[in-house]
Amino acid sequence: MKRTKNLYSYYMIFPALIIYSVFFVVPAIAGFYYSFTDWRLDRLELTFIGWDNFKKIFSDKTLILALQNTAIFALVTVVGKNVIGLLLAVGLNMRLRTKNLLRAIFYSPSILSILVISILFTPMLRTEGTINQMLEAVGLHSLSQAWLTNPSIVIWTIAIVSIWQSAGFQMAIYLAGLQSISQEYYEAAKIDGASSWRSFFKITLPLLLPAININLMLTLIGGLKVFSEVYVMTGGGPGNASQVVGTIILRSFGEGNWGLGTAVNTLLFVVVTIIAIPLLIFMRRKEVTE
Amino acid sequence: MGYTRKLAIRNYIVEGFLILASLIVLLPLVILILGSFKTSAEVLSFSLRLPDTWQFSNYVRVFQEGGLSRAFLNSIWITGISSIINIVASSAAAFILARRETKLSGTIYMYFFMGLIAPMSIITTIRVVQGLGFYGSITSVILIYAALNTAFSVFLYSGFIKTIPRALDEVAFLEGASVFGVFFRIVTPLILPVNATVAIMVFMSVWNDITIPVYFLTDSSTWTMPLSIYNFYGKYSRDWNLIFANLVLTSLPVFILYLFGQKYIVSGLTAGAVKG
Repeated sequence: MKRTKNLYSYYMIFPALIIYSVFFVVPAIAGFYYSFTDWRLDRLELTFIGWDNFKKIFSDKTLILALQNTAIFALVTVVGKNVIGLLLAVGLNMRLRTKNLLRAIFYSPSILSILVISILFTPMLRTEGTINQMLEAVGLHSLSQAWLTNPSIVIWTIAIVSIWQSAGFQMAIYLAGLQSISQEYYEAAKIDGASSWRSFFKITLPLLLPAININLMLTLIGGLKVFSEVYVMTGGGPGNASQVVGTIILRSFGEGNWGLGTAVNTLLFVVVTIIAIPLLIFMRRKEVTE
Repeated sequence: MGYTRKLAIRNYIVEGFLILASLIVLLPLVILILGSFKTSAEVLSFSLRLPDTWQFSNYVRVFQEGGLSRAFLNSIWITGISSIINIVASSAAAFILARRETKLSGTIYMYFFMGLIAPMSIITTIRVVQGLGFYGSITSVILIYAALNTAFSVFLYSGFIKTIPRALDEVAFLEGASVFGVFFRIVTPLILPVNATVAIMVFMSVWNDITIPVYFLTDSSTWTMPLSIYNFYGKYSRDWNLIFANLVLTSLPVFILYLFGQKYIVSGLTAGAVKG
């Protein structure tokens, strides 16, 4: 039957390969080249300028702040989305009467556009907004804040809104993972007298590794690519307090600094790849040994 | 007996806690929906109070003043065509990649897989689209979305196609079928559930996206729903009732799709993400 192998014509790969190459890979590779040029809107002739764009990035306070904010956002959302998502999934995997309804409720924000969520939260996060009114109603006056206009917390606020939106999506993946774990393991553990905590750490978590893996990757990569929520809620402000890599790229595009904008993108590309690939390999290996 | 009762009590506590937590998700959404039926003065409290009189006219006004019908059609067109291109091209590619287990196919798979990780390079993509002569057009956005979702779709399809026994193909080949015949007659019907998953996931992500339109749709006649709403939000920043009606309207199609496609989302995630 070896011969049938050649019947699978490579031609069928071409449509996907061409679209993906032309509109994703070619621009990505071109980006590496243009990062080292002084490419501008108003100048058609390019000069190769070596590492100048990257030096500029690391000597510009706003750009460094944007990198910092992106890192904070990614870290906070990875932890928040996964911890909350996992807790929700474990709770909603129990025999609860309202579990189907609750699953649907927690999942629902993640089907909405981040634009919808961001516009909805903007007025509620104002000083006189709903969030502060609610905090005051339950006696937490001290937590009342100018959530989106206080430069020192604005990126955290945006991260929390993002967690609010997508923890339910992480929950759905964890639930799918939990449901693929055979009940026999838990019954065996119960007979051996293991506590629920022990079964959670010794059975649930290891067997959930594929789901944890995919969720960590999704949230981390998504977090580093953050753009829409910042663009809609603050536009990078107040001042430049909530600039992230994504909004910096838009700004350099608008100003005609294409070489610099592309360099920022290249930096993001390298950072994402450096973090994601070892994580991916490490996780895959762990999955196999368990 | 004591053990099960303890379990029952624990379940009640967990359930109570989760119901309370669900309010954190539910309340903002209720504020949104109620707000879309209020007057512009009433909505400003952003509260859970019911509207004094239900202003259904908000929705009519949004359609008339926001130019939404055009944006709605653009969104349907862009989302629909890019999903179809993505589904046909990705499933065909994944079929071959799953069946030909050579070094070359492994390399091509990794080439696609990189797209799951790497961020797109927007400014150079604009240059490529300009070079091809259709920057600003709906076609460019359709092809970009098809490209951006290729990695995810190929990944999901190839995991699934590997579970379909190769013997099915071989019998068909012996009967004289071509590779296209095998793909469309045998594989496509078997992967219908994954098609549904990919269709829903791609549709939702494209429908909801704002990044690509911000860069690529320069002319307001080509704007999608999210972009029109963003523009509307800037113009009518005092009329939160209209903005909210707008937000509800743009969410409706994906909400309906979600209601019908719910089981495919979960089964697709299980098959593709968790087991793959």
